[in-house]
Amino acid sequence: MTSSLVDRPVRRFLTLVAGAAIVLAACSGSASSPSASESAAAPSDSAAASSAASGSGAASASAGANLSGQITFLEKWPDPNYAPYFQKVVSNYEAANPNVKIDLQAVGDQPIKDKLRVLAASKQMPDIYFSWAGDFTKKFVRGGLAADLTSALQGTDWGNSFVPAALQAFTYDGKVYGVPIDLDAKFMVYNTKVFADNGIQVPTTLEDLLSACDTLKGKGIQPIAFGNQYGWPAIHYLTQLNPYMVPATTLATDYEPQSGAFTDPGYKAALQALIDLNTHCLTQKANGISHESAQAQFLAGKAAMQYVESVEFPVFTKAGGASDAIASNWGFFKLPAPKAAAGDANVLEGAPDGLLVNPNSQHMDIVLDFLKYLTNQSNAALLTKMNGWLSPVKGSATSDNAFPQLISVLDEINKADGMAIWLDTVTNINVANAYLNGAQALLDGKKTTDQVMSDVQAGAAKAKTEVGQ
Amino acid sequence: MTIAARLRNATQWLYVLPALLLVVVFVYYPAVDNLRLSFFQWSSFSPKESFVGIQNYQDLAADPVFWSALFNNIAYAVVSVIFQVGGGLVLAALLEEFVAPRLRAFFRTVFFIPAVMSLTVVGFLFYFLYEPNFGIVNQFLTAIGLGDWTHAWLGEEGTAIWSIIAMSQWQSIGYVMVLFIVAIQKIPRELYEAAYIDGATRVQAFRRITVPLVQEMTVLMLIVTISGAFLVFNEVWVMTQGGPNNASHTLGSWLYKSGFFNDQLGYAAAIGSVIFLITFVTSVIQLRLTRGRTVQF
Repeated sequence: MTSSLVDRPVRRFLTLVAGAAIVLAACSGSASSPSASESAAAPSDSAAASSAASGSGAASASAGANLSGQITFLEKWPDPNYAPYFQKVVSNYEAANPNVKIDLQAVGDQPIKDKLRVLAASKQMPDIYFSWAGDFTKKFVRGGLAADLTSALQGTDWGNSFVPAALQAFTYDGKVYGVPIDLDAKFMVYNTKVFADNGIQVPTTLEDLLSACDTLKGKGIQPIAFGNQYGWPAIHYLTQLNPYMVPATTLATDYEPQSGAFTDPGYKAALQALIDLNTHCLTQKANGISHESAQAQFLAGKAAMQYVESVEFPVFTKAGGASDAIASNWGFFKLPAPKAAAGDANVLEGAPDGLLVNPNSQHMDIVLDFLKYLTNQSNAALLTKMNGWLSPVKGSATSDNAFPQLISVLDEINKADGMAIWLDTVTNINVANAYLNGAQALLDGKKTTDQVMSDVQAGAAKAKTEVGQ
Repeated sequence: MTIAARLRNATQWLYVLPALLLVVVFVYYPAVDNLRLSFFQWSSFSPKESFVGIQNYQDLAADPVFWSALFNNIAYAVVSVIFQVGGGLVLAALLEEFVAPRLRAFFRTVFFIPAVMSLTVVGFLFYFLYEPNFGIVNQFLTAIGLGDWTHAWLGEEGTAIWSIIAMSQWQSIGYVMVLFIVAIQKIPRELYEAAYIDGATRVQAFRRITVPLVQEMTVLMLIVTISGAFLVFNEVWVMTQGGPNNASHTLGSWLYKSGFFNDQLGYAAAIGSVIFLITFVTSVIQLRLTRGRTVQF
């Protein structure tokens, strides 16, 4: 949004100020020399400050660089638990680069989906903006709204500082379009005390999970807290179930908008598994409950499990506000695969979130410099410390800055064959919508698995024509 | 025409020009451009607009969500007319007739407060009222033995839109009521006194004096609530975002969802044109029906 309209008056003002300074300096003669030397000293001060701020061993390019201008940065974490990290990094960067102003905006997870489209339609893309991996990002790439960052990220020191899989999630046709900012994976979090009290082992198959649910239900405990008001929580079950049920190559073909068919019987089996989970385990009438309300039920010890993202893990810790009863009694496991699964049981649901860059940015130098700063070793470690998230930067999580469960998440990610990106962002919007609406109708008993699959197939057909044109 | 008259004419135009320009640039131009865009297919992500003729309108006619959204708008309008306009008038008359003057201001404030509350706050409040497990509505129903009537109010296709409409009535009735109170206070008291001397009951006075004499306000409120009902967006977006399974969309929210989630801006423009047509026609009809019936006291 650094349009020339905004820039021009500013530039004119600066010219005026500069002009006035010259005139004043000329008039005041020798008296002006101290102030002149002061202003001359300023840049070196700021360079010193920036190198100090970037810390030891940091790969920031900001030290010494004489950058000036304003850039906009749109992300999706207005939550007071997470926003301070971004505010802090931005203000540190601004302190190190006094001529740079970063306009940081945070809008929530749901609103950013339409905000980005409104900005795209009105040609007002921020310089740096949040995006999910998958077709959500590819859409910006297709529209020429995401800068090709290959030369900055492929084979460079900066690029090599990331876990390869994280960078891979934002690489399409051999070109890198996004800077991964966090690592996220989906797990079933469970109350270890409730499991122990009721003699339940961590289930290793989907069938085990269903029977564990029956046991819990028999004792009057809600097995899995579930709120599906906006549809994505059900989609997250399907994100993991689809790769379990459908062979990997078929899945990859179907998730591409150019070639999606969704005729494999595995997709229907995945929907059936969701129905089974719903009858045995999940909170009923979940379409009227938000994910956060459901979480409150788990946090109050009234539900034994909840299916959550690892970026949500901090809420189960003492620092995140959980009670002792939860904070010292929680663990997690991967949603188990069914015994006879046609797909890959070793795929883990999750994806890195990333930041894309507006190719028409007026200040590409600042943008890249800031992104390098944001993902340097010390800021990545700070992300884990302040927000309890895993960073895609190698070696940034240690027992010093991460709680034990977070370290275990890293092990799980390393063990997995691959990551399954969220079904509603990896697929084309037509397919995603068919799934989002279909899953809600399925849970409500308003549609059968056949009906949902034919909606999905129709969505895939529509996606083909839209992308093909 | 004399030169002076022509000059006067020109000056008149000069005076209205700024306002006219504003209206043309910010109202008529977008409306016309929207109509043009509805014949194209384009998305937020690609600047390329391809002409598709009336394809968007054909798709619209075949789109079940469009029809259910239209139905939801009509339901919104009907319920709002009954509860806001009808209920607001009755409430206003009751307050003016039966409540001691000292208490009137108190009740007026009580009924008006919801209208000044932020919709986001109201949305949260009603989310918790409607929550299926611990929400007050279901708990109340269970407590009085009507456990079978409990629903996931916002989460079921059959109840979602009605729950939103109910919230809207709660929020707006006080606003309409206050406007009716103003209209009722303008009616000379002598008319009522004369009627009571002739033996009229309060109900008769309401029907024969109050209702006819606030007609102007009634018409205004009808126009406002009906066209408001066809423009409803915020309520739906805050409460359900059109879910579950697109059951609670109104034309406004379906327009937004089509344009900015489904990346079909041309289709969204077509929905916009339909909304414009509906509100335009209703306003014209209502204004025609009520032209020149102003009452002067």
